[in-house]
Order: sequence, then C-alpha cells, then structure tokens
Amino acid sequence: MTTSLIIILVVIAVIVLWGIGIYNRLVQLRNQVNNAWSQIDVQLQRRYDLIPNLVETVKGYMAYEKETLEAVISARNQAQSARHQIEQSGGPTEGSIKDLAAADTAVRGAVTNIMALAENYPQLRASENMKQLQEELSSTENKVAFARQAYNDNVMLYNTAQQEFPTVLFASTFGHHKVELFQVEDQEVKKAPKISFS
Amino acid sequence: MVMNFWEAQKQAKSKTALYVAIFTALTLIAAFFCEWAMRLFAVGSYDNPDLPYVGLGFLGLTFGVAGFNYMNYLQSGGSYVAESVGAQAVNPQTRNPKERQLLNIVEEIALATSLPIPPVYILEAKEVNAFAAGTSPDNAAVTVTRGCLDLLNRDELQGVLAHEFGHIYNRDMTLGMRVAAMVMGFFIVTFIGLRLLEGSSFASRRDEDDQDRRGGNPIAVLAVIFLIAGSVTWFFGSILQAMVSREREYLADASSVQYTRNPLGIANALRKIAGSNTSDMPKNGKPFAHLYFNEHESFWSRLFATHPPIEDRIAAIEGGKYDAAPPLSKT
Repeated sequence: MTTSLIIILVVIAVIVLWGIGIYNRLVQLRNQVNNAWSQIDVQLQRRYDLIPNLVETVKGYMAYEKETLEAVISARNQAQSARHQIEQSGGPTEGSIKDLAAADTAVRGAVTNIMALAENYPQLRASENMKQLQEELSSTENKVAFARQAYNDNVMLYNTAQQEFPTVLFASTFGHHKVELFQVEDQEVKKAPKISFS
Repeated sequence: MVMNFWEAQKQAKSKTALYVAIFTALTLIAAFFCEWAMRLFAVGSYDNPDLPYVGLGFLGLTFGVAGFNYMNYLQSGGSYVAESVGAQAVNPQTRNPKERQLLNIVEEIALATSLPIPPVYILEAKEVNAFAAGTSPDNAAVTVTRGCLDLLNRDELQGVLAHEFGHIYNRDMTLGMRVAAMVMGFFIVTFIGLRLLEGSSFASRRDEDDQDRRGGNPIAVLAVIFLIAGSVTWFFGSILQAMVSREREYLADASSVQYTRNPLGIANALRKIAGSNTSDMPKNGKPFAHLYFNEHESFWSRLFATHPPIEDRIAAIEGGKYDAAPPLSKT
C-alpha cells in the first residue's frame, strides 16, 4: 500500500463520515419539526374540544345571543376540517397551513366575541364553571401559541441547517426540503385574547 | 430595548466555559505546586521519584473525592430532592384553581421547550422562590413556594417557571454538582493536610534524635503542602463555583425570555422579590438552583453569591438600565 493510496482512502473515509453526520443531523432536525407539528395538532384539538363546553356553559345565560353562539360553532367546525385535511395529506404544506391559520384565527375571534358578550351577564361571570373554563381557555390559547412557537423555532433550525454550507450541497439529495413556518396573518390577533373577569 | 436572548445565552455559555477552564488550570497548577514544593523541601526523602507521586496524589485525591460525591448526588432524582426539603407534590387531578393554573403553566412551558412535563411540587414558605432539581429532563422536578402562588400573577409565575425550565434544559444542576464535587475534593485535601500535620507533630515530639531536621519529617512537609494547596484551591474554587452559578442564572433568565417571549413576566417577578423582606426557605439542601437569593452588600458576600444582584438581572432582561418601576404593562 503506497502512502498516496492510504491518504486517498483516509480522505474518502473522512468525507463519508462527514456525509453520514450531515445526513443524521438533517434527519434529527426533520423529526423534531414533525414532532413539533403534532404538538400543535394536539393543542388545536384540545382547543376545538373546549368550544362545545363553552357553548354549553353560556347557553343557559345567553339564550338571546344565538348568532354569536352559532358563529363560534361553525368557525370551530371549519377549523376542524382544515386540521383533518392536513392530517390526511400527511403533513402541512404551504397552502394547507395558511388555511388552518385563517380558520384558527376565525375561531379565536369568535371565542373573543363570546367572552366579550359574557361581560354583560354578571351571574355567568360569577359562576365557578365559567371561571374554570376561562382559565382552561386562556391556558389552551397559551399552549397553542407555545406549540406554534416551538414548531417555528424547530423549523428555523431545520431550514437554516439545510441552507448552510456545506450541508446545502447534500440537503435535497438526501430528501430534505424547506418547511413553512406557521404564521398568523393578522398581527393584532397574534396575542392571545387577554380577557379577565376581575 | 429588546433582549437578544440568543446572544445572551451564547455569552453565558462561553463565560461558563472560561470559568471551567480556569478551574481546571487551577487544579493542575496546584498539583504542580505540590510536586515541586515536595521536591524542594523534603530533601533527602523525596529526590527524583519515578513518578510525580505527590502531584498525582493531589489529583487522585481531588478527583477521587469528587467522583465519589458526584455518584452520590446522581442517586437523587429531582423528586427526591424536592421531597427532602419538605415540598408536597401537586395532585395532577387537583380541583384547586390556583394549583390547576400552576399545572397548566408548567404544561405550557414544557410545550415551549419541547421537554417532558416534570412533577410539580409546592413548598409551604411565604417568600417567592422556586427551584428545579434533577440531573436530566427525565428525572427533573420543579418546586415553587406558596408565596409564588399567592403573590405572583399569571405572567410572572410563567416567567419564573420558564426560568426553572431553563435550568433543566441547560443541565445546570449537573454542572453545579460537578463543580461542587470538585470543591469538596479540594476541601478534603486541606482536611487531610491538617490531619497529617497533627499526626506528624505528635510523632516528632516523641522522636528525640531526628537527624535531618532540615529535610524535615517528609510527612510534615507533605501535610503543610497539602494544607496550603488545598486551602488555596478551595478558596479560589469556591469563588469560581459562585461565578459559574451566577452565569447560569443569567442564562436561565435569557432562556425564560426565549420560551415565553415575554421579558416583563420574569422581570416583574424579580421586582416583587426585590421589594420583599420575607426569607423563610428551609436551610437544608444547598445544591438546588434557586431562582433568587438575597442581595449582598459587602464585597465578600458578593464574591460568593450564587445569584447576580437583582437589579443587574432585571437590567439584562429588559436590555437597558435598571428601572425600579415596571414599564406600562398590559396586565
């Protein structure tokens, strides 16, 4: 074995090892992104499940606010179907994320309307059920927001890793693509509705 | 001004690396000193040994004691630590609204950090304080005092818990234990030096015709060397230990802002702590990552403080000069 042959073999080995490292890192980052997405999914599901509870709790007191109640139910159903669509297509795409974000914004807006209206019903405000529900809704908002934040942080790490040199040379060959961030259209609605009965 | 928490975290981590490097250098220099001093002063009994036994002995003692201590620390998961200070676990099915809120907040931060949800404990103390214990995210536990639940609003409680999660994520407890174990190693060397000195002076009193007094009783020389090396490393090691701890507190503050994206929450929590005089945490159990400690006025207290002064922490979080009054907030 001549020296130059050995050197060539060593160089090849180093490149291969390096390539394996890049491959594994990309796989890890992509799995983190997928996991973060499913977290959002779980939290959205919880939020949509709370809506019927909300409607049940306020229905007795706010019998005359039928339109508002119906609005929140229909917004919720639309968001649910947007969510199912993503589930069935195996993951978020640019279009389906936008649909979901828009539908979710509508749900949040409808819930805010109900909570604002509830301010006019002191008996409702004082009820234990309502107070607990308010905490659960508030916490669910936060959880969706944090899940989205964690997802976006992971997407950023994944996209950045794909774009950096020299990983960029191999990323698409290894089957990796840029992932969309979960962005909210309306900047104002980005903040969770701060409602309190105090 | 907005806190650039990515940058702040990078700084805290590189400072920690620097302090750990100094720590290691300190240990090695002390070992060299021991070896050199032994050859210089124990003339006649320690000339040109095959191996630098004394230097190696110093290192062996230090790392041996440290390793033993560290193994002991590792046994205790976070829950064990929380229970040993008298904290009570919160029932996951609790109907108490404040406790429910606490559990919700812990879940929220676990989502933001992508860490598993740790068990939550409450300590019946009136001061506002919290700590995280455990050596990895899998065996971690988080404890807050009753004072936190009574005195902090939702955003502030969230900031405090995010700070504790920062400690868990950055493995600060493990780092703290390792450093503490090394400092204990230094202490043991000092202790051994003292014991040897007592033993050798007792022996030399009985030995009337000690010929080479100048070369000296080699045990006595070794004892003095260990005493000096041990106490110097123990002193500076303790200072470095405190510096590392303070840096990790800044790191946890920056992590809190990263997770909540809400500097005001934790900053206001710190303000509330700064303004209070209550201090009733149980005395047992030092190796915890406390959210805060009392402020220190004197030079020596500052040197050994495990936490930076509260104003400095608030200023770092809000990215500017410290302002006692909180800026107009939305809550």
